[in-house]
Amino acid sequence: MHEMSIVEALMEQIIEMSQDEDWEAVTRIRLKVGAMRQIVPDILKFCFNVASKGTIMENALLEIDEIPLLIKCDECGYLWSDREFLGMCPKCSSINVNLLNGMELELTNLEVEMKHAKTC
Amino acid sequence: MPRLVNVKKSVMAADEEHASFIRSMMKQKGVLMINMIGSPGSGKTTLLEKLLPKLNLRCAVIEGDVATSRDAERIAVTGTPVVQINTQGGCHLEANLVRKALRDIPIDDIDVLFVENVGNLVCPAEFDLGETFKMAISSVPEGDDKPLKYPSLFHQARAVLLTKVDVLPYIKFDRSAFWRDVQKLNPGADKFELAVIEGKGLDDLIGAIEDWLKDIRGN
Repeated sequence: MHEMSIVEALMEQIIEMSQDEDWEAVTRIRLKVGAMRQIVPDILKFCFNVASKGTIMENALLEIDEIPLLIKCDECGYLWSDREFLGMCPKCSSINVNLLNGMELELTNLEVEMKHAKTC
Repeated sequence: MPRLVNVKKSVMAADEEHASFIRSMMKQKGVLMINMIGSPGSGKTTLLEKLLPKLNLRCAVIEGDVATSRDAERIAVTGTPVVQINTQGGCHLEANLVRKALRDIPIDDIDVLFVENVGNLVCPAEFDLGETFKMAISSVPEGDDKPLKYPSLFHQARAVLLTKVDVLPYIKFDRSAFWRDVQKLNPGADKFELAVIEGKGLDDLIGAIEDWLKDIRGN
């Protein structure tokens, strides 16, 4: 249950970003979450809905792009995607493998409503 | 019209800064920092109690628990400097908490810093504390299926310890299946079997700690 800590860190980051901006509200938050991060999207959304009450991002839509595992063998160059991470290449049995995708935990972008319509 | 703001930044960016601060501090001081992760009752504190008096190195311990200072009191008996962190419900340690605790650790006078994380196989694996590496601790009574059920920890750990092997005759536990799964997830991991109450396996672990310390000090 580390989703709440992640939500806290996410909210702190957004609140800090909003300090010098003319944002009325944050309406959409898009995250990338890798399959290796052991995060349950529904729990993350639930924590967010509870914790965001009374803040600039209350009612924001939290969109989670789940990134599947992608593993590359550095010996033979084989690329594969598995439900579970395995540290050995299924082609050449090398243990010299790298997890390319799956560890993401990124705030990609936000959609915000501005306080005042800009008059040029 | 809503406006799109591009960020492309790690959600944990603030805590990752604390982790890299700690990592460079340990590097500069030549301290081996081990983040010990295992279930409640896997034997993390007992291992430290038995290990610390036998280890011919200067050590310190940071204890992470939801509540109480019981573990720190057990470590203090060994004469090792120890700081207790209470997470007040939090299921894991974070780098900002460890950085605060480091103020009370005599960092210039130690070789090895053990950080005993909150007992939990899931969440602690997801938070970088700036450690040299993670150590996974799994005990025989927990069952032989733990590596595949908690792949993130067993994949990341530089060392995997199977504790309480003295109860193997009494428990249905397929030892070769356990190590085969560890091998699948993390072929490069150093592997240890221990029964610390009897002192079994401690010497191997002590030898490895001395080697890891030599590694990070480049000699």
